[in-house]
Amino acid sequence: MISISPKVLATGSDALIKSPLDLNNLPPEQVALDINKLNLFYGKKQALNNITMSIPKGQVTAFIGPSGCGKSTLLRCINRMNDLVDDCHITGEINLNGHNIYNKHVDVAELRRKVGMVFQRPNPFPKTIYENVVYGLRIMGENNRRNLDDAAEQSLRSAALWNEVKDRLHESALGLSGGQQQRLVIARAIAIQPEVLLLDEPTSALDPISTLVIEELINDLKKQFTVVIVTHNMQQAARVSDQTAFMYMGDLIEYSDTNTLFTTPLKKKTEDYITGRYG
Amino acid sequence: MNKWFKSGAPWIWLSAAGVSISLISVLGLLWLIASRGLSYFWPSQLYQFDLIDKNGVKSIVIGEIYDREEIPVGQLAHLNLVLAPEQKMLERLLIKTGNRELVSLDFRWLLSHYIQKTQTPKELVMVERRTNGNFYGYIDSVVVDGKVVDANQLTTLLTRVENFQQQIDDLQKSDIGAINYQLERLRLKTRKYELQNKLTASVQAEIDSEVVSLNQRYAKLEQELMGYREKISRDHLVMRAMDGQLVSINFEYILKVTFNNKLTLLEKLATFFSQISAFIIEDPREANTEGGVFPAIFGTVLMVLLMTVIVSPLGVIAAIYLHEYAGKNAFTRLLRIAVINLAGVPSIVYGVFGLGFFVYIVGGSLDQLFYSENLPSPTFGTPGVLWSSLTLAILTLPVVIVSTEEGLSRIPSEMRYGSLALGATKAETLWRIILPIASPAIMTGIILAIARAAGEVAPLMLVGVVKMAPNLPIDGNFPFLHLDRKFMHLGFHIYDVGFQSPNVEAARPLVFATALLLVSIIVALNMIAVSIRNRLREKYKMLEH
Repeated sequence: MISISPKVLATGSDALIKSPLDLNNLPPEQVALDINKLNLFYGKKQALNNITMSIPKGQVTAFIGPSGCGKSTLLRCINRMNDLVDDCHITGEINLNGHNIYNKHVDVAELRRKVGMVFQRPNPFPKTIYENVVYGLRIMGENNRRNLDDAAEQSLRSAALWNEVKDRLHESALGLSGGQQQRLVIARAIAIQPEVLLLDEPTSALDPISTLVIEELINDLKKQFTVVIVTHNMQQAARVSDQTAFMYMGDLIEYSDTNTLFTTPLKKKTEDYITGRYG
Repeated sequence: MNKWFKSGAPWIWLSAAGVSISLISVLGLLWLIASRGLSYFWPSQLYQFDLIDKNGVKSIVIGEIYDREEIPVGQLAHLNLVLAPEQKMLERLLIKTGNRELVSLDFRWLLSHYIQKTQTPKELVMVERRTNGNFYGYIDSVVVDGKVVDANQLTTLLTRVENFQQQIDDLQKSDIGAINYQLERLRLKTRKYELQNKLTASVQAEIDSEVVSLNQRYAKLEQELMGYREKISRDHLVMRAMDGQLVSINFEYILKVTFNNKLTLLEKLATFFSQISAFIIEDPREANTEGGVFPAIFGTVLMVLLMTVIVSPLGVIAAIYLHEYAGKNAFTRLLRIAVINLAGVPSIVYGVFGLGFFVYIVGGSLDQLFYSENLPSPTFGTPGVLWSSLTLAILTLPVVIVSTEEGLSRIPSEMRYGSLALGATKAETLWRIILPIASPAIMTGIILAIARAAGEVAPLMLVGVVKMAPNLPIDGNFPFLHLDRKFMHLGFHIYDVGFQSPNVEAARPLVFATALLLVSIIVALNMIAVSIRNRLREKYKMLEH
């Protein structure tokens, strides 16, 4: 049983028109991230089993799966946030622009500038809206007022927040609503012009209207960035993503273009999950 | 009944009772200190008692009533008083009679049984003096330059003397003090050259010429001083004491002459406030039993501020290391427990440590390295304000570390991740995000540290506090802040005045007044810190969901 009809799936008509990519044989110039035989252990417990996948450039890739399946863990591997977890051990590689990010000589701070991340709960800093947006730039050593102003405006416009906050840029970011805060965090992430933007359940703490605004925003963002989104909401994955990966118990079960995965899943587990038998 | 118990009402009552008991005890303490302390400044009524003792001998006693008490008649059996049989208790008054040149004791007990008449004559005068305490009596005459003049001129004459006195003080403190300081420096300079074998004839001549010019200036100032001295000692005030003796008091020694019984309420209030301000801004006199406590206030505040400046960065850095960088293993936990336990070490132990380590080892080495010209008299190798602040900084370090760590661990991890995900390093995250958010907690630590340090006396007695410091740690002589100097402290002042003074009875109100001042200063310091913290909290309030 397939519960979601293809018409509902594709909110933008281009998703239906574009021919799906062959994810197993992507031409190198189209690959944003190449994950190769990635294993991850928390202590002795293995959380990711031999994940291999290529994430295409300039598209939205969604990770779905039941709670605890490892989708967030996989996402955090991409900008090495798992480094912050005690006794977390990783084997395998993730290549960004042909370089393994788990190479010893990689500067993690540098990597995280290229791979931005937005978290589940909005986490603006207790600073002004303006200072939040230009934080990453200040860290990079940019102090020219004009450049910072330009970057702030541009990022806030890209995050569809400019019109709401332009008159109170120098007020505390903590005064914004949850949805606005989440867009501010996205603006903050894109202000440093990353190549890849990781979104970890970005709407799970938001109300439906804010969710809608963010989803529309994601559609715009993929023009500039490669977007990887983790969501527990299948409808959302269907609405916003071009590719979807279904994960279960640390395994990558199925990875294909969103349309195919939701209409004609190849694996029994995928079908069971998207039809709501478990999860 | 059971229902009432289950409703939780008894617990509410119990906790309310707990709160009220603590509140009452704090307010009671403040009330006691405030009432006893402030009454010291209120100009009291002067009494004249006409006495007749059991042998029919008449006498007069003049003074202030200090205390009253009821004593059982049985204690007075040896006096063979004739009393009504139902009378079990007799009242006894403690009178401050002053006039130390006539009787050696300032105070005496009067049995109210002997008092025939009590009056408050308007002409009674209290003379406050620089030495020998107060004098009570009647004005007999005012003598100017050997001639008796109209007593109404007293105020103008006193103002004249007061002006000269002010000039003498200025001369002594700033000008002569500066010359003495420079002479001492020249002496040290000579000694330094001597030690380095660089004392050539030309250097010696140069120094000598400087010394000569300083000495000349000194002689001139001294002459000026003598001139003033002569001027102020011109006049005398002749007083008639309670037994009719005439006592001549030189104006030089008179601070103030007040007709306490003539004062209206308004004048009393004015006197009250001027006494309070004098207490705060003046130096102590007569072994600290009279005068003000300014050096002690200054020393206390300076020492606490220095301590804060030392302990805050130290504590914060230590907490950051413990919380952010140290491995989460058994050793770190042990370290943390050790730090917490440090707070429980008795303060005198810190004093001993400060004396042994800071004063003798560190200070002694500093002296040998940099101040060898002054040896054998030590510069830093002796208790001083720097060592006191350092000792108290160590004493309060655990408080700052514990509350800073508490603050650090309360920060949601999303804040760190947010910053790290933007390419900030751990250090940048700490500096730009974590520390600002933790600042209210750090301020809490500092507040607790100040509260603890300002009230601490025991360790200070070993590492820098003295009964009487000739100079403040800050003055107009280069380098202005003299960290090697000993200082006075309100807490020690209380102890000294209350228990070490030659005249305990006279000093008792001073003890309360000083205690009141100490409490107010600590409260003021705390209020400043609390208001800073509240401002910071307001800024980061929204974070605490």
